[in-house]
Amino acid sequence: MDPVMLIEQVDPHGHAVQRHRLAGAGAECTIGRDLSCDIVVDDEHAAPRHALLTLLEDGRVNVRDLGGRNVTRVDGKRVPTDTGAILEQGEVIVGRTRLRVRTRHTPLGPERVFRRDFITRYRTPLAATGVAACMAFGAFLQWLDAPSSMLASVTKGALVALGVIALWSAGWALMTKLNRGSWNVRVHVTIASIAAAICAWGSWVAGLVAFAAQWSFLVKVGIVVVAGTALAALYGHLREATHYGRRVTLALAGVVTLVIGVIVWVATIGVDDSDVNRVALGPDVRLGAQRVVPNRDIADYLTEVDALRLAAGRERQKSLLDGPLADAD
Amino acid sequence: MVKSGPLIAALWLCGFASVAAAQATEKPVEPVAETPPEPAPEDRAPDADAEAEAVDALDAAAVEADIVAQELSDEAKDRLDASRESVVQIRGFFEGSDSSAFHGSGFAVDDGRRIVTNYHVVAQAVLFPRQYRLEYLASDGRTGPLQVLAIDVRNDLAIVAAEDLELPPLALRSEIPAQGERAWSIGYPLNLGLTITEGVANGLVENSIEQRIHYTGAINGGMSGGPALDRRGHVYGVNVSVVTGRQLVGFVVPAKHIAPLLARAKGPLVESLSAEQLRQRVTAQVLAYEAGVLEAPPDADGTQKVRGFTLPTKLSSYLECSSFDERSPHVRMRVETVSCQMPSRILAQPGVHVAGLSVQHRILQSAGLHPLQFERQVNDLATGPRRAGTPAHVAPFACRDALVSLDGFDARISTCVRQYRLFAGLYDFDVTVVGIDDPGEALVSRLNLQGVSFDIGRRTMERYLGALQWTR
Repeated sequence: MDPVMLIEQVDPHGHAVQRHRLAGAGAECTIGRDLSCDIVVDDEHAAPRHALLTLLEDGRVNVRDLGGRNVTRVDGKRVPTDTGAILEQGEVIVGRTRLRVRTRHTPLGPERVFRRDFITRYRTPLAATGVAACMAFGAFLQWLDAPSSMLASVTKGALVALGVIALWSAGWALMTKLNRGSWNVRVHVTIASIAAAICAWGSWVAGLVAFAAQWSFLVKVGIVVVAGTALAALYGHLREATHYGRRVTLALAGVVTLVIGVIVWVATIGVDDSDVNRVALGPDVRLGAQRVVPNRDIADYLTEVDALRLAAGRERQKSLLDGPLADAD
Repeated sequence: MVKSGPLIAALWLCGFASVAAAQATEKPVEPVAETPPEPAPEDRAPDADAEAEAVDALDAAAVEADIVAQELSDEAKDRLDASRESVVQIRGFFEGSDSSAFHGSGFAVDDGRRIVTNYHVVAQAVLFPRQYRLEYLASDGRTGPLQVLAIDVRNDLAIVAAEDLELPPLALRSEIPAQGERAWSIGYPLNLGLTITEGVANGLVENSIEQRIHYTGAINGGMSGGPALDRRGHVYGVNVSVVTGRQLVGFVVPAKHIAPLLARAKGPLVESLSAEQLRQRVTAQVLAYEAGVLEAPPDADGTQKVRGFTLPTKLSSYLECSSFDERSPHVRMRVETVSCQMPSRILAQPGVHVAGLSVQHRILQSAGLHPLQFERQVNDLATGPRRAGTPAHVAPFACRDALVSLDGFDARISTCVRQYRLFAGLYDFDVTVVGIDDPGEALVSRLNLQGVSFDIGRRTMERYLGALQWTR
């Protein structure tokens, strides 16, 4: 088979901006600023005639530096001026311009089956479902309060939920437009609304289960689930809106989740962890029929209350360590 | 509500030096006695700031009473002249400071070397002996250091003395003045100098646990610990507190509680006891008081029946209850409330009132609410108002909750207990009971104990839970 090489000039994101294909042993390609070059680069750090690529008989490529003020590099290594370098594939850097070189020696990966991800494929029904679920939750919360003007309150609840989703999604859509050229509104609405719906309805259901099974720890599980959902949603938004790789995206999403978590924590619980008036009452009380575990015996409970003497003593010790009395002995 | 209000709302007349000082600086600096009669509040410019007006109205009342006393009778002058030398101002200083942190009044009794005042006047110096020192200021301008000899937290009394101080003692009268008897109160209000006010003794306060004489006359901050005199110039009591926002409702500790305390006043407390021991002594007096008051066996069975519920109301025979019911126009629900509390508590430290017991039952009836809506309302109500407590005085709560079968219904019981930072033996109990067994009816009940021993709290809680009952 005839030797052949493909030279692609790529932008910082790795996208090809021009291509040059040469076939046959001895084929040559000059690279430089001069218009007589085969590949003309608009780079002030490149010489008028900067490098020469020659296709050898064995299919490999010889790269020679033509003696500019800046050297030529192959895969980061400087090309010796006298002998040049031989490569099967790799990246040639001329000035600040990157050129990707491929030959017949470059291995071809297996053909991957094209598959759109789930969210992209079902973005319309998913977005509609998510938004409906969020609006329903907003309305449900208002309904629970049994307001006097039911219709107005319920409508307000639904619209507030819709507004929050719309604002949030619009921000991400704008970011996507700036980075990638398309809005992808429905994908962002899907990610935002489904995540919000999972958190909202999930915590409501968790409250029911916490009472039914008397699992106070479900509250903590709920916090983990909400944090996980927020992380997944941020990851999804970032993947959609930016060009970052998986690891960078995950790290970014993690940091943002943490920051949001801290803000929410400070806003709801407060920085002062030793609020002396905070009481833990346990899961919300529901109708008796919604319970699956038997009641505790009153005597057992009172024994547990006895343990509060020690627990309160520990709190006092902690409090005295944190803030000693004005004239401690 | 009004009936059980006075002592709870009473303002202890000392420990508010900053407030008193602020008020004093707002006023003209001339001695009050020489100030020309101020116009009555209604004659004032209508644009006067409402808050200032309220303060001025109080001050004006005091000044007016003063002037009335001087114009209408010379008796006040005689009383004051006779006791002027026996009354001192008691001032507390923070560490090396020259300006006082708090102040009150006191008067000489017995051999003239012992001075009676209120516990709350000297409380800071007793509880933080290394931070505060006490000084007297006599009517002739002499000053010197004071020592605390004995305290009676229950009756809010203290005996202090100074080595070099000997004053003409005032005679004590141990019987309670008859209602309507003329009376005078002397002290150093608001740092304005020695002042006498005239009024009427109205006998013992009806709904107080500890004996207090109701004095209808002006008492102001700084007069705490000053003598309350009768027509013969004998001390029938000690000025102790006043109801804020009302007119001339003052309280006086009967003089008969002074003698037992004098017998105990052997030597300086602070020199013989460490700070920790002083605090234990205060705690011990609080606990001794509680044992008689909070655990007093109820006269009747101590419960009240409302809509199939049997509710414990008289957990202590002193508890006073009121019930009312409200139907919110916004939420389709009826709330029936039975609420009981102690008519008075005692002061362990300025700002810290202990030996409190209150219980509140609320029976909720849905008027067409969906069960989910009803549940939501019940749980909102159970969260209740924010608990009162400051990080300076109490440690955080430790809580336990469980679903428990009570008599006739299932309920979630949440018990939270916290300790006092200064007083290791005192606890707050906060018990919330919530039961919704019927879709349309629920009970939200709360027991609250302030500054009690753990055992009293635990026993009271057990009695309370044992008495709750729901029969349909």
